[in-house]
Amino acid sequence: MENIISIKNLNYTYPEAKTQAIKDVSLDIKKNQWVSIVGKNGSGKSTLTKLVDGLIEADSGSIEIDGQALSEESIWDIRSKIGIIFQNPDHQFVGATVEDDVAFGLENQGMPKEQMVKEVDHALELVKMADFKNRDPQSLSGGQKQRVAIAGVLATRPQIIIMDESTSMLDPEGRQTVLDLVQDLRAKQDLTILSITHDISETELSQRIVVLNAGRIVEDSDPATIYNLGADLTHFGLEEPFSSELMSQLRGSLELPTGYLNEEELMDKLWKLRSKK
Amino acid sequence: MEITFEKVTHSYDVNSPVANLGLDDVSLKIQDKKFTAIVGQTGSGKSTLVRHINALLKPTSGTITVGKRVITPETNNKNLKPLRKDVGMVFQFPESQLFEETVEKDIMFGPMNFGATQEEAKAAAEEMIKLVGMDTDYLQKSPFDLSGGQMRRVAIAGVLASRPETIILDEPTAGLDPVGRREIMDLFKGLNEDGRTIILITHNMDDVADYADEMAVMNHGKLVGSGKPFDVFNNQTLLDNDWLTLPKSAQFAQDLAKKGFAFSKLPITVTQLASEIKQQVR
Repeated sequence: MENIISIKNLNYTYPEAKTQAIKDVSLDIKKNQWVSIVGKNGSGKSTLTKLVDGLIEADSGSIEIDGQALSEESIWDIRSKIGIIFQNPDHQFVGATVEDDVAFGLENQGMPKEQMVKEVDHALELVKMADFKNRDPQSLSGGQKQRVAIAGVLATRPQIIIMDESTSMLDPEGRQTVLDLVQDLRAKQDLTILSITHDISETELSQRIVVLNAGRIVEDSDPATIYNLGADLTHFGLEEPFSSELMSQLRGSLELPTGYLNEEELMDKLWKLRSKK
Repeated sequence: MEITFEKVTHSYDVNSPVANLGLDDVSLKIQDKKFTAIVGQTGSGKSTLVRHINALLKPTSGTITVGKRVITPETNNKNLKPLRKDVGMVFQFPESQLFEETVEKDIMFGPMNFGATQEEAKAAAEEMIKLVGMDTDYLQKSPFDLSGGQMRRVAIAGVLASRPETIILDEPTAGLDPVGRREIMDLFKGLNEDGRTIILITHNMDDVADYADEMAVMNHGKLVGSGKPFDVFNNQTLLDNDWLTLPKSAQFAQDLAKKGFAFSKLPITVTQLASEIKQQVR
Protein backbone atom coordinates (compact mmCIF):
# COMPACT_ATOMS: atom_id res chain seq x y z
CA MET A 1 0.00 0.00 0.00
CA GLU A 2 1.22 3.46 -0.80
CA ASN A 3 1.71 6.21 1.76
CA ILE A 4 -1.05 8.81 1.87
CA ILE A 5 0.86 10.88 4.41
CA SER A 6 4.65 11.08 4.55
CA ILE A 7 6.27 13.35 7.13
CA LYS A 8 10.04 13.79 7.31
CA ASN A 9 12.10 15.45 10.08
CA LEU A 10 9.43 17.96 10.99
CA ASN A 11 10.21 20.74 13.49
CA TYR A 12 7.99 23.49 14.80
CA THR A 13 8.19 26.08 17.59
CA TYR A 14 5.29 28.44 18.34
CA PRO A 15 6.17 32.15 18.13
CA GLU A 16 7.59 33.30 21.48
CA ALA A 17 7.54 29.76 22.92
CA LYS A 18 10.62 28.53 24.76
CA THR A 19 10.31 24.88 23.82
CA GLN A 20 9.77 23.17 20.50
CA ALA A 21 6.20 21.89 20.00
CA ILE A 22 7.26 19.31 17.38
CA LYS A 23 10.76 17.81 17.44
CA ASP A 24 12.15 15.95 14.46
CA VAL A 25 8.97 13.99 13.74
CA SER A 26 8.98 11.50 10.86
CA LEU A 27 5.88 9.47 10.15
CA ASP A 28 4.51 7.48 7.19
CA ILE A 29 0.83 6.58 7.08
CA LYS A 30 -0.56 4.13 4.58
CA LYS A 31 -3.82 4.55 2.69
CA ASN A 32 -6.93 3.31 4.46
CA GLN A 33 -5.18 2.95 7.83
CA TRP A 34 -6.88 4.10 11.03
CA VAL A 35 -4.14 5.64 13.14
CA SER A 36 -4.62 6.88 16.71
CA ILE A 37 -2.46 9.77 17.82
CA VAL A 38 -2.22 9.83 21.61
CA GLY A 39 -0.29 11.81 24.19
CA LYS A 40 -0.84 14.06 27.18
CA ASN A 41 -2.27 17.55 26.79
CA GLY A 42 0.51 19.68 25.35
CA SER A 43 2.40 16.73 23.81
CA GLY A 44 2.05 18.11 20.27
CA LYS A 45 -0.90 16.11 18.89
CA SER A 46 -2.96 19.07 17.74
CA THR A 47 0.11 20.93 16.49
CA LEU A 48 0.99 17.97 14.32
CA THR A 49 -2.44 17.87 12.71
CA LYS A 50 -2.38 21.66 12.17
CA LEU A 51 0.94 21.23 10.35
CA VAL A 52 -0.51 18.44 8.20
CA ASP A 53 -3.48 20.60 7.22
CA GLY A 54 -1.22 23.56 6.51
CA LEU A 55 -2.84 25.75 9.17
CA ILE A 56 0.65 26.48 10.46
CA GLU A 57 3.95 26.24 8.61
CA ALA A 58 6.81 24.01 9.81
CA ASP A 59 10.22 25.55 10.65
CA SER A 60 11.92 22.66 8.85
CA GLY A 61 11.16 19.24 7.43
CA SER A 62 8.64 18.14 4.81
CA ILE A 63 5.08 16.87 4.54
CA GLU A 64 3.74 14.97 1.54
CA ILE A 65 0.04 14.24 1.15
CA ASP A 66 -0.98 11.75 -1.50
CA GLY A 67 2.38 12.17 -3.22
CA GLN A 68 2.17 15.95 -3.29
CA ALA A 69 4.57 18.11 -1.23
CA LEU A 70 2.84 20.62 1.05
CA SER A 71 3.77 24.15 -0.01
CA GLU A 72 2.13 27.52 -0.50
CA GLU A 73 1.15 26.51 -4.04
CA SER A 74 -0.30 23.11 -3.13
CA ILE A 75 -2.00 24.03 0.13
CA TRP A 76 -5.56 24.43 -1.24
CA ASP A 77 -5.27 21.27 -3.24
CA ILE A 78 -4.06 19.40 -0.19
CA ARG A 79 -6.70 20.86 2.12
CA SER A 80 -9.41 19.60 -0.22
CA LYS A 81 -8.12 16.10 0.48
CA ILE A 82 -8.40 16.48 4.26
CA GLY A 83 -11.53 16.81 6.38
CA ILE A 84 -11.37 17.68 10.08
CA ILE A 85 -13.99 16.86 12.71
CA PHE A 86 -13.46 19.01 15.79
CA GLN A 87 -14.18 18.33 19.44
CA ASN A 88 -17.14 20.58 20.10
CA PRO A 89 -20.17 19.72 17.94
CA ASP A 90 -21.69 23.14 18.68
CA HIS A 91 -18.81 25.04 17.16
CA GLN A 92 -19.10 23.54 13.69
CA PHE A 93 -22.50 24.67 12.47
CA VAL A 94 -23.17 27.52 10.09
CA GLY A 95 -26.40 26.50 8.33
CA ALA A 96 -30.01 26.94 9.46
CA THR A 97 -30.86 23.38 8.47
CA VAL A 98 -28.86 20.17 8.47
CA GLU A 99 -28.97 20.17 4.68
CA ASP A 100 -27.64 23.76 4.38
CA ASP A 101 -24.91 22.91 6.76
CA VAL A 102 -23.67 19.91 4.82
CA ALA A 103 -23.86 21.96 1.60
CA PHE A 104 -21.64 24.71 3.01
CA GLY A 105 -18.32 23.14 2.04
CA LEU A 106 -19.57 22.34 -1.47
CA GLU A 107 -20.91 25.83 -1.98
CA ASN A 108 -17.45 27.11 -1.13
CA GLN A 109 -16.06 24.90 -3.87
CA GLY A 110 -18.54 26.46 -6.31
CA MET A 111 -20.40 23.26 -7.11
CA PRO A 112 -23.54 23.63 -9.30
CA LYS A 113 -26.80 23.45 -7.33
CA GLU A 114 -28.16 20.27 -8.88
CA GLN A 115 -25.05 18.25 -8.23
CA MET A 116 -24.79 19.73 -4.76
CA VAL A 117 -28.25 18.49 -3.76
CA LYS A 118 -27.26 15.00 -4.87
CA GLU A 119 -23.98 15.08 -2.99
CA VAL A 120 -25.63 16.35 0.19
CA ASP A 121 -28.31 13.66 0.07
CA HIS A 122 -25.66 11.03 -0.49
CA ALA A 123 -23.53 12.25 2.41
CA LEU A 124 -26.52 12.36 4.78
CA GLU A 125 -27.44 8.85 3.64
CA LEU A 126 -23.94 7.65 4.53
CA VAL A 127 -24.14 8.99 8.08
CA LYS A 128 -27.77 7.81 8.44
CA MET A 129 -29.11 11.31 8.99
CA ALA A 130 -31.19 11.70 5.80
CA ASP A 131 -34.44 11.90 7.80
CA PHE A 132 -33.12 14.95 9.60
CA LYS A 133 -32.19 17.06 6.59
CA ASN A 134 -34.72 19.82 7.22
CA ARG A 135 -34.05 20.02 10.96
CA ASP A 136 -32.29 22.85 12.77
CA PRO A 137 -28.83 21.47 13.70
CA GLN A 138 -29.21 22.92 17.20
CA SER A 139 -32.15 20.59 17.88
CA LEU A 140 -29.97 17.47 17.46
CA SER A 141 -28.18 15.43 20.11
CA GLY A 142 -24.38 15.64 20.36
CA GLY A 143 -23.86 12.35 18.52
CA GLN A 144 -26.25 13.42 15.74
CA LYS A 145 -24.46 16.76 15.43
CA GLN A 146 -21.10 15.03 14.99
CA ARG A 147 -22.61 12.74 12.35
CA VAL A 148 -23.83 15.82 10.46
CA ALA A 149 -20.35 17.35 10.81
CA ILE A 150 -18.94 14.14 9.34
CA ALA A 151 -21.45 14.34 6.47
CA GLY A 152 -20.24 17.90 5.79
CA VAL A 153 -16.71 16.60 5.57
CA LEU A 154 -17.65 13.54 3.47
CA ALA A 155 -19.53 15.66 0.96
CA THR A 156 -16.24 17.25 -0.06
CA ARG A 157 -14.87 13.72 -0.77
CA PRO A 158 -11.70 13.87 1.31
CA GLN A 159 -9.09 11.11 1.36
CA ILE A 160 -8.09 11.75 4.95
CA ILE A 161 -10.34 12.44 7.92
CA ILE A 162 -8.73 13.92 11.02
CA MET A 163 -10.79 13.46 14.18
CA ASP A 164 -9.57 15.93 16.79
CA GLU A 165 -11.03 14.41 19.97
CA SER A 166 -14.33 14.40 18.13
CA THR A 167 -16.07 11.96 20.45
CA SER A 168 -14.83 13.35 23.77
CA MET A 169 -17.83 15.62 24.36
CA LEU A 170 -20.43 12.98 23.54
CA ASP A 171 -22.37 10.68 25.85
CA PRO A 172 -21.57 6.94 25.60
CA GLU A 173 -24.37 6.27 23.13
CA GLY A 174 -23.43 9.20 20.89
CA ARG A 175 -19.77 8.17 21.00
CA GLN A 176 -20.65 4.63 19.93
CA THR A 177 -22.76 5.74 16.96
CA VAL A 178 -19.97 8.02 15.72
CA LEU A 179 -17.29 5.33 16.09
CA ASP A 180 -19.48 2.70 14.39
CA LEU A 181 -20.01 5.15 11.54
CA VAL A 182 -16.30 5.90 11.10
CA GLN A 183 -15.47 2.21 11.13
CA ASP A 184 -18.15 1.52 8.54
CA LEU A 185 -16.99 4.40 6.31
CA ARG A 186 -13.39 3.25 6.43
CA ALA A 187 -14.44 -0.24 5.39
CA LYS A 188 -16.59 0.98 2.47
CA GLN A 189 -14.52 3.87 1.18
CA ASP A 190 -10.85 4.39 0.71
CA LEU A 191 -10.57 6.69 3.72
CA THR A 192 -7.57 7.18 5.96
CA ILE A 193 -8.43 8.07 9.55
CA LEU A 194 -6.17 10.06 11.86
CA SER A 195 -7.72 10.19 15.27
CA ILE A 196 -6.47 12.24 18.21
CA THR A 197 -7.91 10.67 21.31
CA HIS A 198 -7.64 9.97 25.04
CA ASP A 199 -10.17 7.17 24.86
CA ILE A 200 -8.58 3.74 25.15
CA SER A 201 -11.60 1.94 23.69
CA GLU A 202 -11.38 4.19 20.63
CA THR A 203 -7.72 3.24 20.08
CA GLU A 204 -8.73 -0.44 20.04
CA LEU A 205 -10.52 0.21 16.75
CA SER A 206 -7.37 1.54 15.09
CA GLN A 207 -4.59 -0.47 13.48
CA ARG A 208 -1.81 1.62 14.85
CA ILE A 209 -1.13 3.90 17.81
CA VAL A 210 1.43 6.71 17.61
CA VAL A 211 2.41 8.10 21.02
CA LEU A 212 3.69 11.67 21.25
CA ASN A 213 5.48 13.04 24.27
CA ALA A 214 6.98 16.54 24.49
CA GLY A 215 6.80 16.89 20.70
CA ARG A 216 8.53 13.61 19.84
CA ILE A 217 7.20 10.23 18.74
CA VAL A 218 8.08 7.92 21.63
CA GLU A 219 6.09 4.81 20.64
CA ASP A 220 4.58 3.65 17.37
CA SER A 221 3.03 0.21 17.18
CA ASP A 222 -0.13 -1.88 17.02
CA PRO A 223 -2.59 -1.53 19.93
CA ALA A 224 -1.69 -4.83 21.68
CA THR A 225 2.00 -3.84 21.85
CA ILE A 226 1.16 -0.37 23.15
CA TYR A 227 -1.22 -1.78 25.79
CA ASN A 228 1.72 -3.79 27.14
CA LEU A 229 2.82 -0.51 28.71
CA GLY A 230 0.04 -1.09 31.28
CA ALA A 231 -0.11 1.58 33.98
CA ASP A 232 2.59 3.62 32.17
CA LEU A 233 -0.07 4.49 29.56
CA THR A 234 -1.35 7.18 31.92
CA HIS A 235 1.89 9.11 31.26
CA PHE A 236 0.78 9.30 27.64
CA GLY A 237 -2.75 10.53 28.26
CA LEU A 238 -4.41 7.12 28.01
CA GLU A 239 -6.15 5.08 30.63
CA GLU A 240 -4.72 1.71 31.58
CA PRO A 241 -6.79 -0.95 29.78
CA PHE A 242 -9.24 -2.60 32.17
CA SER A 243 -7.78 -6.10 31.66
CA SER A 244 -4.30 -4.88 32.52
CA GLU A 245 -5.52 -3.12 35.68
CA LEU A 246 -7.31 -6.29 36.79
CA MET A 247 -4.28 -8.47 36.00
CA SER A 248 -1.99 -6.35 38.14
CA GLN A 249 -4.36 -6.85 41.08
CA LEU A 250 -4.49 -10.62 40.49
CA ARG A 251 -0.81 -11.26 39.82
CA GLY A 252 0.29 -11.67 43.45
CA SER A 253 -2.11 -14.58 43.97
CA LEU A 254 -2.62 -16.13 40.54
CA GLU A 255 -0.20 -17.35 37.91
CA LEU A 256 -0.72 -15.04 34.96
CA PRO A 257 1.50 -14.32 31.96
CA THR A 258 3.55 -11.11 32.09
CA GLY A 259 2.39 -9.57 28.79
CA TYR A 260 -0.87 -7.88 27.84
CA LEU A 261 -4.02 -9.94 27.47
CA ASN A 262 -7.24 -8.45 26.15
CA GLU A 263 -10.45 -9.04 28.13
CA GLU A 264 -11.42 -12.12 26.12
CA GLU A 265 -7.97 -13.71 26.55
CA LEU A 266 -7.91 -12.92 30.25
CA MET A 267 -11.34 -14.51 30.74
CA ASP A 268 -10.20 -17.68 28.98
CA LYS A 269 -7.06 -17.78 31.12
CA LEU A 270 -9.07 -17.33 34.34
CA TRP A 271 -11.51 -20.02 33.31
CA LYS A 272 -8.63 -22.45 32.66
CA LEU A 273 -7.12 -21.68 36.06
CA ARG A 274 -10.48 -22.25 37.71
CA SER A 275 -11.04 -25.55 35.89
CA LYS A 276 -7.64 -26.87 36.97
CA LYS A 277 -8.39 -26.21 40.61
CA MET B 1 -27.81 20.70 54.03
CA GLU B 2 -30.24 17.95 53.30
CA ILE B 3 -32.07 18.33 50.00
CA THR B 4 -35.54 16.87 49.54
CA PHE B 5 -37.65 16.62 46.40
CA GLU B 6 -41.31 15.97 47.10
CA LYS B 7 -43.55 14.99 44.19
CA VAL B 8 -41.72 17.39 41.88
CA THR B 9 -42.97 17.72 38.33
CA HIS B 10 -41.47 20.08 35.81
CA SER B 11 -43.22 20.71 32.52
CA TYR B 12 -41.26 22.49 29.80
CA ASP B 13 -44.35 23.49 27.75
CA VAL B 14 -47.08 24.21 30.23
CA ASN B 15 -49.32 25.70 27.56
CA SER B 16 -48.87 23.11 24.86
CA PRO B 17 -51.46 20.32 24.54
CA VAL B 18 -48.74 17.68 24.89
CA ALA B 19 -46.92 18.55 28.08
CA ASN B 20 -43.21 17.83 27.81
CA LEU B 21 -42.31 16.56 31.26
CA GLY B 22 -38.71 17.25 32.24
CA LEU B 23 -39.46 15.79 35.67
CA ASP B 24 -42.36 13.50 36.40
CA ASP B 25 -43.42 13.15 40.06
CA VAL B 26 -39.92 12.87 41.52
CA SER B 27 -39.49 12.29 45.25
CA LEU B 28 -35.87 11.99 46.39
CA LYS B 29 -33.76 12.70 49.45
CA ILE B 30 -30.14 13.80 48.93
CA GLN B 31 -28.25 13.35 52.18
CA ASP B 32 -26.14 16.03 53.80
CA LYS B 33 -22.34 15.74 53.37
CA LYS B 34 -22.62 12.69 51.10
CA PHE B 35 -21.28 12.19 47.58
CA THR B 36 -24.34 11.47 45.43
CA ALA B 37 -24.17 10.55 41.73
CA ILE B 38 -27.09 11.18 39.36
CA VAL B 39 -27.10 8.96 36.27
CA GLY B 40 -29.38 8.32 33.31
CA GLN B 41 -29.32 8.60 29.54
CA THR B 42 -29.12 11.95 27.76
CA GLY B 43 -32.52 13.61 28.06
CA SER B 44 -33.54 11.57 31.12
CA GLY B 45 -33.93 14.66 33.32
CA LYS B 46 -30.62 14.69 35.26
CA SER B 47 -29.77 18.32 34.49
CA THR B 48 -33.40 19.42 34.93
CA LEU B 49 -33.38 17.79 38.37
CA VAL B 50 -30.27 19.54 39.69
CA ARG B 51 -31.26 22.93 38.27
CA HIS B 52 -34.15 22.89 40.75
CA ILE B 53 -31.76 22.74 43.71
CA ASN B 54 -30.61 26.34 43.28
CA ALA B 55 -33.91 27.44 41.72
CA LEU B 56 -32.55 28.01 38.23
CA LEU B 57 -35.71 26.11 37.34
CA LYS B 58 -38.86 26.07 39.43
CA PRO B 59 -41.22 23.11 39.75
CA THR B 60 -44.55 23.08 37.94
CA SER B 61 -45.84 21.27 41.00
CA GLY B 62 -44.30 19.84 44.18
CA THR B 63 -41.70 21.26 46.56
CA ILE B 64 -37.93 21.17 46.94
CA THR B 65 -36.43 21.74 50.37
CA VAL B 66 -32.79 22.82 50.57
CA GLY B 67 -31.80 23.02 54.24
CA LYS B 68 -34.38 25.42 55.63
CA ARG B 69 -35.35 26.93 52.29
CA VAL B 70 -38.43 25.77 50.47
CA ILE B 71 -38.82 26.12 46.69
CA THR B 72 -42.35 25.87 45.25
CA PRO B 73 -43.97 26.89 41.95
CA GLU B 74 -44.71 30.24 43.64
CA THR B 75 -41.13 31.00 44.71
CA ASN B 76 -40.15 34.35 43.21
CA ASN B 77 -36.75 35.33 41.96
CA LYS B 78 -36.05 37.79 44.78
CA ASN B 79 -33.88 36.69 47.66
CA LEU B 80 -32.35 33.73 45.83
CA LYS B 81 -28.80 35.01 46.34
CA PRO B 82 -28.19 33.27 49.71
CA LEU B 83 -29.41 29.98 48.19
CA ARG B 84 -27.13 30.38 45.18
CA LYS B 85 -24.18 31.17 47.43
CA ASP B 86 -24.76 27.96 49.37
CA VAL B 87 -25.35 25.80 46.32
CA GLY B 88 -22.53 26.14 43.79
CA MET B 89 -23.07 24.78 40.31
CA VAL B 90 -20.36 23.76 37.87
CA PHE B 91 -22.02 23.45 34.48
CA GLN B 92 -20.90 21.26 31.60
CA PHE B 93 -17.83 22.73 29.92
CA PRO B 94 -17.58 25.54 32.50
CA GLU B 95 -14.56 27.00 30.72
CA SER B 96 -16.96 28.48 28.15
CA GLN B 97 -18.12 30.84 30.91
CA LEU B 98 -14.72 32.40 31.61
CA PHE B 99 -14.74 36.04 30.62
CA GLU B 100 -12.40 38.21 32.71
CA GLU B 101 -8.99 39.42 31.54
CA THR B 102 -7.07 37.60 34.26
CA VAL B 103 -7.56 34.29 36.04
CA GLU B 104 -7.58 36.16 39.37
CA LYS B 105 -10.44 38.47 38.35
CA ASP B 106 -12.40 35.52 37.03
CA ILE B 107 -12.15 33.61 40.31
CA MET B 108 -12.88 36.82 42.31
CA PHE B 109 -16.11 37.47 40.42
CA GLY B 110 -18.26 35.02 42.41
CA PRO B 111 -17.24 36.09 45.93
CA MET B 112 -17.56 39.82 45.02
CA ASN B 113 -20.99 39.16 43.56
CA PHE B 114 -22.00 37.62 46.89
CA GLY B 115 -20.70 40.62 48.83
CA ALA B 116 -17.08 39.79 49.68
CA THR B 117 -14.56 42.67 49.86
CA GLN B 118 -11.78 43.01 47.31
CA GLU B 119 -9.24 41.65 49.83
CA GLU B 120 -11.40 38.68 50.79
CA ALA B 121 -12.00 37.83 47.14
CA LYS B 122 -8.27 38.13 46.34
CA ALA B 123 -7.42 35.82 49.22
CA ALA B 124 -10.07 33.36 48.04
CA ALA B 125 -8.63 33.39 44.51
CA GLU B 126 -5.17 32.56 45.83
CA GLU B 127 -6.49 29.76 48.02
CA MET B 128 -8.72 28.25 45.33
CA ILE B 129 -6.15 28.26 42.53
CA LYS B 130 -3.91 26.17 44.79
CA LEU B 131 -6.81 23.93 45.77
CA VAL B 132 -7.45 23.00 42.12
CA GLY B 133 -3.78 22.10 41.74
CA MET B 134 -2.43 25.16 39.92
CA ASP B 135 0.40 27.55 40.76
CA THR B 136 -0.41 31.10 41.94
CA ASP B 137 1.66 32.36 38.95
CA TYR B 138 -1.40 31.64 36.83
CA LEU B 139 -3.49 34.28 38.61
CA GLN B 140 -2.14 37.11 36.47
CA LYS B 141 -2.50 35.24 33.15
CA SER B 142 -5.42 35.56 30.78
CA PRO B 143 -7.73 32.55 31.15
CA PHE B 144 -7.76 32.29 27.36
CA ASP B 145 -4.03 31.53 27.24
CA LEU B 146 -4.52 28.35 29.26
CA SER B 147 -4.98 24.78 28.03
CA GLY B 148 -8.47 23.26 28.08
CA GLY B 149 -7.78 21.32 31.28
CA GLN B 150 -6.40 24.39 33.04
CA MET B 151 -9.38 26.52 31.97
CA ARG B 152 -11.66 23.86 33.44
CA ARG B 153 -9.80 24.09 36.77
CA VAL B 154 -10.01 27.87 36.83
CA ALA B 155 -13.75 27.71 36.20
CA ILE B 156 -14.14 25.21 39.06
CA ALA B 157 -12.00 27.43 41.33
CA GLY B 158 -14.40 30.28 40.52
CA VAL B 159 -17.35 28.28 41.81
CA LEU B 160 -15.46 27.08 44.91
CA ALA B 161 -14.37 30.65 45.77
CA SER B 162 -17.88 31.49 47.01
CA ARG B 163 -17.46 28.61 49.50
CA PRO B 164 -20.69 26.78 48.71
CA GLU B 165 -21.75 24.05 51.15
CA THR B 166 -23.27 22.01 48.35
CA ILE B 167 -21.51 21.61 45.02
CA ILE B 168 -23.38 20.40 41.96
CA LEU B 169 -21.24 19.12 39.10
CA ASP B 170 -22.72 18.51 35.66
CA GLU B 171 -20.28 16.13 33.95
CA PRO B 172 -17.22 18.03 35.18
CA THR B 173 -14.68 15.72 33.56
CA ALA B 174 -16.14 15.41 30.05
CA GLY B 175 -13.41 15.95 27.47
CA LEU B 176 -10.50 15.75 29.93
CA ASP B 177 -7.68 13.24 29.54
CA PRO B 178 -7.62 10.32 32.03
CA VAL B 179 -5.01 11.88 34.32
CA GLY B 180 -6.89 15.19 34.37
CA ARG B 181 -10.12 13.33 35.07
CA ARG B 182 -8.65 11.45 38.00
CA GLU B 183 -7.21 14.65 39.49
CA ILE B 184 -10.52 16.50 39.24
CA MET B 185 -12.46 13.58 40.72
CA ASP B 186 -9.96 13.32 43.60
CA LEU B 187 -10.40 17.07 44.20
CA PHE B 188 -14.17 16.60 44.59
CA LYS B 189 -13.64 13.59 46.85
CA GLY B 190 -11.38 15.78 49.02
CA LEU B 191 -14.00 18.54 49.17
CA ASN B 192 -16.54 15.93 50.20
CA GLU B 193 -14.25 14.66 52.98
CA ASP B 194 -13.91 18.27 54.15
CA GLY B 195 -17.66 18.31 54.75
CA ARG B 196 -19.21 19.52 51.49
CA THR B 197 -22.19 17.80 49.91
CA ILE B 198 -21.30 16.74 46.37
CA ILE B 199 -23.88 16.02 43.68
CA LEU B 200 -22.36 14.67 40.49
CA ILE B 201 -24.08 14.12 37.15
CA THR B 202 -22.10 11.62 35.13
CA HIS B 203 -22.16 9.00 32.38
CA ASN B 204 -19.08 7.31 33.80
CA MET B 205 -20.25 4.35 35.88
CA ASP B 206 -16.70 3.55 37.01
CA ASP B 207 -16.54 6.98 38.65
CA VAL B 208 -19.89 6.28 40.33
CA ALA B 209 -18.58 2.95 41.69
CA ASP B 210 -15.25 4.45 42.77
CA TYR B 211 -16.40 7.74 44.31
CA ALA B 212 -20.11 7.93 45.15
CA ASP B 213 -21.78 7.03 48.49
CA GLU B 214 -25.27 7.18 47.00
CA MET B 215 -26.75 7.26 43.52
CA ALA B 216 -30.02 8.08 41.78
CA VAL B 217 -31.10 6.79 38.35
CA MET B 218 -33.30 8.90 36.09
CA ASN B 219 -35.28 7.75 33.06
CA HIS B 220 -37.72 9.83 31.00
CA GLY B 221 -38.07 12.37 33.80
CA LYS B 222 -38.83 9.75 36.43
CA LEU B 223 -36.66 8.58 39.30
CA VAL B 224 -36.38 4.83 38.66
CA GLY B 225 -33.86 3.84 41.30
CA SER B 226 -31.77 5.15 44.18
CA GLY B 227 -29.54 3.87 46.98
CA LYS B 228 -25.96 2.73 47.50
CA PRO B 229 -24.13 2.07 44.20
CA PHE B 230 -23.50 -1.58 45.08
CA ASP B 231 -27.22 -2.21 45.58
CA VAL B 232 -28.37 -0.11 42.64
CA PHE B 233 -25.96 -1.80 40.19
CA ASN B 234 -27.32 -5.13 41.45
CA ASN B 235 -30.94 -4.11 40.85
CA GLN B 236 -32.07 -6.46 38.09
CA THR B 237 -35.12 -4.38 37.10
CA LEU B 238 -32.94 -1.38 36.27
CA LEU B 239 -30.59 -3.52 34.17
CA ASP B 240 -33.33 -5.47 32.39
CA ASN B 241 -34.99 -2.22 31.33
CA ASP B 242 -31.69 -0.74 30.07
CA TRP B 243 -32.08 2.18 32.47
CA LEU B 244 -28.58 1.69 33.76
CA THR B 245 -25.25 0.56 32.35
CA LEU B 246 -22.75 -1.29 34.51
CA PRO B 247 -19.23 -0.34 35.63
CA LYS B 248 -16.49 -2.25 33.76
CA SER B 249 -15.87 -4.61 36.69
CA ALA B 250 -19.52 -5.65 36.84
CA GLN B 251 -19.61 -6.16 33.06
CA PHE B 252 -16.51 -8.33 33.26
CA ALA B 253 -18.07 -10.36 36.09
CA GLN B 254 -21.22 -10.85 34.02
CA ASP B 255 -19.13 -12.19 31.12
CA LEU B 256 -17.18 -14.47 33.47
CA ALA B 257 -20.49 -15.77 34.80
CA LYS B 258 -21.40 -16.83 31.25
CA LYS B 259 -18.25 -18.97 31.22
CA GLY B 260 -19.16 -20.64 34.50
CA PHE B 261 -17.98 -18.39 37.31
CA ALA B 262 -20.64 -17.62 39.92
CA PHE B 263 -21.24 -14.23 41.51
CA SER B 264 -24.02 -13.93 44.06
CA LYS B 265 -23.74 -10.13 43.68
CA LEU B 266 -21.94 -8.28 40.89
CA PRO B 267 -18.71 -6.61 42.06
CA ILE B 268 -18.57 -2.94 41.00
CA THR B 269 -14.90 -2.01 41.50
CA VAL B 270 -11.70 -3.67 40.25
CA THR B 271 -10.68 -4.43 43.85
CA GLN B 272 -13.98 -6.20 44.58
CA LEU B 273 -13.77 -8.11 41.29
CA ALA B 274 -10.16 -9.20 41.91
CA SER B 275 -10.94 -10.51 45.38
CA GLU B 276 -13.97 -12.45 44.08
CA ILE B 277 -11.89 -14.03 41.31
CA LYS B 278 -9.12 -14.99 43.74
CA GLN B 279 -11.62 -16.78 45.99
CA GLN B 280 -13.08 -18.69 43.06
CA VAL B 281 -9.80 -19.67 41.39
CA ARG B 282 -7.61 -20.59 44.34
